[in-house]
Amino acid sequence: MKPVRLAASLGAAFMLSATVSTIALAQAPVCSAPVKVLAQPRDGLTLLEDSKDEFQKLAGASFQIDYLNENDRRAKSRADASTVGNYNVYYVDEANVALFASSKWIVPLTDYYPADYDYADFDPGRQKVATYDGKVWFAPLTGGGDLMVYRKDILEAAGIQPPKTLDELIADVPKLTNPDKGIYGIALRGARGSGANVWRWMPFFKAYGGQWFDGDKPAFNSDAAVKATETYLKLFKDSAPGTQTGSWDESTGAFLSGQVAILVESTPLSGMAVDPKTSQVVGKIGFLPPPAPLTGGGYGHGLAIAAKANADDASKKCAGLFIAWATSKENEKRRLDAHQFGELNRTSVLSSKEFADIYGADLGQALAETGKVTAVNFWQDPRWPDLGDRWGIILEELVTGTRTDVKGGLNELEAYANELVKK
Amino acid sequence: MPRRSSLPVTFVVPTLVVLLILSMVPTLYAIVIALQNRELSSTAYSYVWFSNFVDLFFDRRFLNAVWVSVKWEVVTVVATMAVAIGLGVLMFEVASPRLRNIYCLLFIIPVLLPRVSAAFVWKFAYHPLYGIATYPYRLLTGGLIFDPLSKPATALFAVASVDVWQWGLFFAVIVLKLLETLPPQPIEAARLDHARRWQIHAYVTLPMLKAPLISLMFVKMIESLRSFDLIYVMTRGGPGVATETLDMYAFSQGFIESGKVSYASAMAVLMMIATVITFTMLWKRVQA
Repeated sequence: MKPVRLAASLGAAFMLSATVSTIALAQAPVCSAPVKVLAQPRDGLTLLEDSKDEFQKLAGASFQIDYLNENDRRAKSRADASTVGNYNVYYVDEANVALFASSKWIVPLTDYYPADYDYADFDPGRQKVATYDGKVWFAPLTGGGDLMVYRKDILEAAGIQPPKTLDELIADVPKLTNPDKGIYGIALRGARGSGANVWRWMPFFKAYGGQWFDGDKPAFNSDAAVKATETYLKLFKDSAPGTQTGSWDESTGAFLSGQVAILVESTPLSGMAVDPKTSQVVGKIGFLPPPAPLTGGGYGHGLAIAAKANADDASKKCAGLFIAWATSKENEKRRLDAHQFGELNRTSVLSSKEFADIYGADLGQALAETGKVTAVNFWQDPRWPDLGDRWGIILEELVTGTRTDVKGGLNELEAYANELVKK
Repeated sequence: MPRRSSLPVTFVVPTLVVLLILSMVPTLYAIVIALQNRELSSTAYSYVWFSNFVDLFFDRRFLNAVWVSVKWEVVTVVATMAVAIGLGVLMFEVASPRLRNIYCLLFIIPVLLPRVSAAFVWKFAYHPLYGIATYPYRLLTGGLIFDPLSKPATALFAVASVDVWQWGLFFAVIVLKLLETLPPQPIEAARLDHARRWQIHAYVTLPMLKAPLISLMFVKMIESLRSFDLIYVMTRGGPGVATETLDMYAFSQGFIESGKVSYASAMAVLMMIATVITFTMLWKRVQA
């Protein structure tokens, strides 16, 4: 062999091996171990588990989701993130994203969210809830505001127009209650928790002009809070049985089984109410924004990258890829096809023709209207879960009659808030 | 003089060392944490010594939790023992040996159910509209609503009834088996003296079973201290704080609400001290 040919052959062989190595590197699996996720039950996540093979092919490893109900998920994720760090991905929500972000238990999402998956396509309101301190921390799985869902047949039979103001709502609810027929005017949340009874109470607080803090000074111990609480307790007299110590499940369950005339709840309820698989009131309901001046409780839940379990950059990329894939347009389309209304978050899907075909124009109109009154009602601070949960217990005591002094309860909360601020 | 062997020491010491490590390390760690001001959301901490313990005595929820824990302990232990002795004696008196075996099998099933499952089953059974346990009330009152888990006056008893359902029935089987092991002569002698059935049990059989019954009571007392899962699933300490026991409140402060692990540890340490003192005093009194 001539030296020139030999050199050319060696060069070609080198180039070939380098190319193969580059391709091999490019196709190297992003994930080296299954992604561990701590979440709360969601239809969208259950559906996602059917596509495990797809993620395995994409990332080179599978995933495992552990489910706990909302309060337990919050407690467990907080304990896990601050101690052992067993999970690569946490399910976080508007109430604890500030705490998780400021405690550095999660990392900014967009640093590891592949651009192809188009984060900007998410509903702007949900993007806002996912943002804290100028950084995006989670990709939404659900979110929205509040809607008033009412039973047309019951209101018509009682000769009552759907309430457009809070005063009308307060006046109408007792008239609609008829326990002999198993019908209750409203369903509220009584169970303790910043995301439970406090969540439903906050629109009343805001409607009466309440605010949580004025700078570092607690400002919630006001006439607005007293009036909001008294109104809440008054309405609770006509709330469906089981809701006094119940939350979302109990109040929506009572409505969907046909026992409640009017319900102001988070927007996923509307999708459940028109689905014959989950609702016994299909065809009997109407949608409107919450009676003025009630504000809608803006919220968002989603997936975030854990800091402790993903010690190196490769693990963070793997967790980021999982989150991007789980919340991708393709998976969102699957959720739309499965009629999982509450699991839809992307503007490209919410404004699609398929969405309008499935859910009708009324709901789309109500969603657009309610967007205008949706607000962040809670105190956007890492200490919010602590303060909110404390008020949740006092409110549960008031709802169930363990205590009766509203002002005394607010004084107790103010003393607690002062302690929190001092830290 | 027999030669001393080192064999027992060789076998016992490693086991004792392992046991000591397993029990003492977490206990000492809990005591150390209780003297600090650790919170889940921060890595910074310092020693505050007895400050957490002092704060506890000004915390209305802690004082309420102490009272609820005492009530819970008394209600569950007394009711369980009463059900166990009552049913055990009843089966001994009226059931044939075959029927007794069937009852025993049925009565053991509740305690085999995981606590959390039992709690969920009964939570649904107590539902004011659909629950099977509230159905008789609805039937008798023409549809009036009774929600035992949301009433402060009834919530503790509703949850305690599940505990008694699990342990009372199981203990009834043990009491029956204990009665069956007694020698027949004292019972026959009492019958010859025309003693009534209740007198035979009150003055003969149960006094003969004093030692095992006291042991059963102690087992139940310890078991009742660990009812966190049952209360957590059924009421989460509510309504308000009506069923919030010490362990429930400690967990709440440590992991649900504030992340105050030192404050929660202080509660756990106090609970441990109170339990050790109470049980030692009771044990000595019973043995006296």
